[in-house]
Amino acid sequence: MKRVVVDPITRIEGHLRVEVKVDEATGKVEDALSSGTAWRGLELIMNDRDPRDGWAYIQRICGVCTTAHALGCLRAVEDALGITIPKNANYIRNIMAGVQSVQDHVIHFYHLHALDWVSPVEALKADPVATAAMQNTVLSAYKVNVTGPESLDTEAYPKEFPKATPEYYQKIQKKVKDIVESGQLGIFAAQWWDHPDFQILPPEVHLLGIAHYLEMLDKQREIVTSHVVFGGKNPHPHYIVGGMPCSISMDDMNAPVNTERLAIVDRSINTTINLMNDFYVPDVLAIGKMYVDKGYVDGGGMAKERVLGFGDYPDEPYTGTTNGDFHKNLLYRCNGIVEDFGKGLDAAKFYDFKAEDLSDPEVLNEGVEHSWYEYPGAEGKDLHPWDGVTKAKYTGPKEGTKTDWKTLDEDGKYSWLKTPKWRGKMAEVGPLSRYIIIYTKIKKGLITDPTWVEKMIMDQIEAVSKVLNLAPEVWMPTMVGRTATRALEAQVHAYVAKYYFNKLIKNIKAGDTKVADTTKWDPKTWPKECKGVGLYEAPRGALSHWVVIKDGKIANYQAIVPTTWNACPRDNKGDHGAYEKAMMDTKVKIPDKPLEILKVVRSFDPCMACSTHLYNAEGKKIKIVTTDPYLRTNQE
Amino acid sequence: MDKLETMWDVCLRKNIKRRSFLKSCAALTSIMGLNMDMLSKVVAAAEKNPLPVVIWLHGHECTGCDESFLRSATPLTSDLVLNSIALEYSHALSAAAGEPFEEHLHQTMQQYAGKYILAVEGAVATAENGIYCMTGGKPFVSVLKEVAKNAAVIIEYGACATSGGIQAAKPNPTGSVSVREIVGNSKPIVKVPGCPPIPEVMTGVVMHYALFGKLPPLDNEGRPKQFYGNRIHDTCYRRPFFDTGMFAENFDDAGSKAGWCLYKLGCRGPVTYNSCGNLRWWNGLSYPIQSGHGCIGCSNDHFWDEDPFYKRLPEYGPILGDVDKIGAAAVGLTTAGVALHGAMSVVQKKKRQAAEEKSDGKKVE
Repeated sequence: MKRVVVDPITRIEGHLRVEVKVDEATGKVEDALSSGTAWRGLELIMNDRDPRDGWAYIQRICGVCTTAHALGCLRAVEDALGITIPKNANYIRNIMAGVQSVQDHVIHFYHLHALDWVSPVEALKADPVATAAMQNTVLSAYKVNVTGPESLDTEAYPKEFPKATPEYYQKIQKKVKDIVESGQLGIFAAQWWDHPDFQILPPEVHLLGIAHYLEMLDKQREIVTSHVVFGGKNPHPHYIVGGMPCSISMDDMNAPVNTERLAIVDRSINTTINLMNDFYVPDVLAIGKMYVDKGYVDGGGMAKERVLGFGDYPDEPYTGTTNGDFHKNLLYRCNGIVEDFGKGLDAAKFYDFKAEDLSDPEVLNEGVEHSWYEYPGAEGKDLHPWDGVTKAKYTGPKEGTKTDWKTLDEDGKYSWLKTPKWRGKMAEVGPLSRYIIIYTKIKKGLITDPTWVEKMIMDQIEAVSKVLNLAPEVWMPTMVGRTATRALEAQVHAYVAKYYFNKLIKNIKAGDTKVADTTKWDPKTWPKECKGVGLYEAPRGALSHWVVIKDGKIANYQAIVPTTWNACPRDNKGDHGAYEKAMMDTKVKIPDKPLEILKVVRSFDPCMACSTHLYNAEGKKIKIVTTDPYLRTNQE
Repeated sequence: MDKLETMWDVCLRKNIKRRSFLKSCAALTSIMGLNMDMLSKVVAAAEKNPLPVVIWLHGHECTGCDESFLRSATPLTSDLVLNSIALEYSHALSAAAGEPFEEHLHQTMQQYAGKYILAVEGAVATAENGIYCMTGGKPFVSVLKEVAKNAAVIIEYGACATSGGIQAAKPNPTGSVSVREIVGNSKPIVKVPGCPPIPEVMTGVVMHYALFGKLPPLDNEGRPKQFYGNRIHDTCYRRPFFDTGMFAENFDDAGSKAGWCLYKLGCRGPVTYNSCGNLRWWNGLSYPIQSGHGCIGCSNDHFWDEDPFYKRLPEYGPILGDVDKIGAAAVGLTTAGVALHGAMSVVQKKKRQAAEEKSDGKKVE
């Protein structure tokens, strides 16, 4: 048995360490631990701030999924204050959310994940002529053709199309060769390029992958152009409580939004759709197919056992989340929990997730058995986030010192993440979880009137199952499935942006240019005390923000974020979270070079700053937050 | 900064024998994950002049600065990272991870001792001996000190590195501070503030070095003058509305639609030095003010504690003088052709002031 430590895990957001125990004879991972190694304390910083500023602060949890936390906060504050945003603001925010998810997924696959699959060293062995031919094969065999909702047809022909000429690949190959020969490998330095996993794909796929790595590096910025039009910048665009700051006027040449600005947004969305249809989805599917054909259907772990989602994309403005209105008119109804999907559709069980579950202390709670915290007076218990008492208890590692770790202590405390639970059990969240939930709900007849988004998802799953020649319950809950569903979802998000752009145009055409409801802008109009929840399906999974407003200030702020669900340490029964389970469901060929471990962890798109900002280092009690007036009020 | 020495130059200077030099090359070849048949190429490369080497460290941050760096259009990030610099260590982009990656860091630090550019994104957590930010099993603060020791120059990228950023806002639970507070002023530090900085500002600093072989001219705070030389207010396309007293009073009102000055909605443009007004984001496409939201002053030190962001400026930060009078005076100086327009603006402004006094019960200075 060999214990292998990987720290730092790179090509992720933030600071993550994993340790695995590998049986050298079989390659089986007997035990795995995942540790968030940094804590920033942003909730404490939120206290006593103006709730109208909240989005700007909490957006800085993460600059990779920028906007996700801003939207979570805006939804929570607007829920608390009883604000319904105007139609245009709903459409604009959904455009920004859609393209953000696409951009985030693109960066993840091409720039954070790709170098686990393809290697510049292998790319040198490729034949440029064969690579060009392969590009054509990829486009003819691995495209997933979807029909978006009826929309303005504003593009004459696809502007972004993969290049399939030998000379292009020769040039890319020459650049790679120059870098390798220069001895300054830069970003390509020190990877395990001699690992056998880099032999799974033929050299031509490596060259194609490296070429698209570079192309997407330069193209991804165009996906979020609408953030710059509507929010003034990216990362971290600007919003306002009550809607959007970008007034619309066709009568003013200095207006933030007019026809020319909308044309820029439209161009960017069309580009985004091209990039999904002709680059991202076919690339992932071609690579995934080769992996699956060679028997790589491992790395599923928790996805086979339990997945969770909250649902998203309000079709029209809603009056609140805690009153249940948010869930009434969603395009992407992945709210719910699916258990045992890995055992097949018949054995899979579905549990609904409703607004009232948010305030039930038995439904969502967190434990700290293996986190660097303690619950004085409630040892061994799991506490609802509203009851969350967080007291730091940094114990250091098993071997080494507090400031120089050798190995962490899997029997004791080992992470700055808590362990969130749904009804006492851990769950996986993310695009794969959302796809499993939609698929199960529709197949089991729980959704009988699928929206166009849900129909598109079903069409995609069917198309991919045909290409892979495997049932969804076999290919989906795997490392490849986690990566593939993210690509499929990016394609959906691109069409979502187009859909809301159409709605925006239609609404402006009808004479409505309102982007903000400022009737409750003045704190004098607010109740003395109120509470709210904002739900959001972030790129990495189900996100919830919780706010208490008292005397015009934030009295308490909490967030349960996707990476905490996925990267959490084990629970008090010794059961593992999603990262740990996935690692234990992965075979390692060379224990000293655990590329497979890095690949499966990165298949979650780790975002550690998101997951580790939650906790109170000073051991202060975090106040109880509740959205249910009948349960209890805000108190210590 | 001097011209970078080749690895062979270093060996000659240190009187290291050819045999040892070849041995180092062999070690390097293996560390880079290359086959030994690449050794001759590595030897040849080590005798040539290398690209400027960049080591990029991450402290307490949100990775928004990496993301901003990637959004650069001119130079495109691919061109910069593959042709102009050798980005040898980056948690965001580097292929490698874990032990071999840390070994590569140490190898790079040795080989380019005194020559490499250290870019730091993120604040330095100092509370409890730095245990709130651990990387590679060690506190980030100790990693930073070690890597900074032999850096030729340090670039502080973003608000976290330049002043502690959001985690340093009250009550600063992790004791987060800027990079400068840890490494002192022993070597040149380029301060590139912003949350995040504009993409082309981030790449521009490195591009300047790649093009001209030296750091861009800096102001007395260490900020590149070409990017932080003016206040946003001085370059804002809405400045004429400020000067003539035409303000948006509420979000989405007629003034907001007309694109008038956002000063009364809390804009920090008058006290913020940044390129938002001239370079703008996405090569001139927009910036927060153009999109209808006031500047939040994200390139100012400790701006997170200068909230609430929607309160107009004179109550916060440095006093500008009576800005309303500045506007009126400017109107008085204009030529007769625009005087009429100016006079109307003054009337409008007075009306608004009266309304404001009524609603607020006080006159804002």
